Amino acid sequence: MKRVTIDPITRLEGHGKIEIFLNDDGSVEDVYFQIPELRGFEKFVEGRPIEEVPRIVTRICGV
Amino acid sequence: MRKLRLASYWASACGGCDVAILDTNEHILDIAAVADIVFWPVAVDFKYSDVEAYDDRSIDVCLFHGAVRNSENEHLARLLRQKSEVLVAFGSCAVSGGIPALANFKRREDILNRVYRESPSTENPESVLPQPHFTAGDITLDLPDFYRRVYALDDIVPVDYYLPGCPPTPERIWEVFEVIVSGQLPPAGSTVGVADHSLCHECSRVKKEKKVKTFYRPHEIIPDRENCLLEQGLICLGPVTRGGCGARCIAANMACRGCYGPMPGIIDQGAKFISTLGSIIDEDRVEDAGAVIDRIVDPAGTFFRFSMAKSLLKGARQP
Repeated sequence: MKRVTIDPITRLEGHGKIEIFLNDDGSVEDVYFQIPELRGFEKFVEGRPIEEVPRIVTRICGV
Repeated sequence: MRKLRLASYWASACGGCDVAILDTNEHILDIAAVADIVFWPVAVDFKYSDVEAYDDRSIDVCLFHGAVRNSENEHLARLLRQKSEVLVAFGSCAVSGGIPALANFKRREDILNRVYRESPSTENPESVLPQPHFTAGDITLDLPDFYRRVYALDDIVPVDYYLPGCPPTPERIWEVFEVIVSGQLPPAGSTVGVADHSLCHECSRVKKEKKVKTFYRPHEIIPDRENCLLEQGLICLGPVTRGGCGARCIAANMACRGCYGPMPGIIDQGAKFISTLGSIIDEDRVEDAGAVIDRIVDPAGTFFRFSMAKSLLKGARQP
């Protein structure tokens, strides 16, 4: 099976990777879209004062 | 003159540093006149395989944004170090962990559980977590390892220059470009695009005797625009933070958040601010001083807001 890897996906914020698998006659058998990043804002805003949250989550995406 | 080969990469980052480069506005044309972009994921479609094919040290300057949070970030840090003549830690995340390093107060497993199992917007009936290796039939897919804590770039590879800020201001970025193009590089290891004085030095507010009776949260006070914010009871990291940003937050009547990192000679910005507090709280009795400190909701997250990865603490103790 032929494998086509697009890594990284560009011109957007964040990290993405696409793996395309082609079968013997060249048509697409399977596609996987992967997000190879995690920062964990959902967890690390816990315990912070509420007024900090808008100033922290703006760093999820700065584009 | 040969054009410079320039790379810009984001590891564990938000892209705000890339946008700050674009915010140099028409200077981006000046940059394009003297430099070819050879890797810049936010703007240009080069792949990792292209970078791997470059000769070692064939990238003249690599601006590396973002912290090192996982094994992919580490791989790219090592790859770009190998391929670059000059590696710049660009922005607070690369310099000292930045906002992503607030995760260093949490344990790895608690982060994964929150994000993939407990979050109200997550549907994960099989309760699976991301696996570094996934096999389906004869297909194997790999995801990066999520590290136990966040690292700064120079924890992983040697760094030539540091350009702090969240993000660095476009004015400072352009000045640094001018220096790069001139070829008159400062000594390796320098922090560039900054002042050697504290933020207080470039803050135009009236400073009197620093004596604080209580601290306020933003919704509890409308600070005046003339006097020192710290003296008005707002947690302002100005005394321990490098200037060079132009005191933009102060101009917006907001206390300094510390993103330009510690003053020269200070190894731990947060610890230095704790020391500052010790000298400005206007109470004689320990209990009274303690009551003032108790008004600060999240001291660690506030004092180490951008610098946790380079603090002496580094992060939470994990089993």
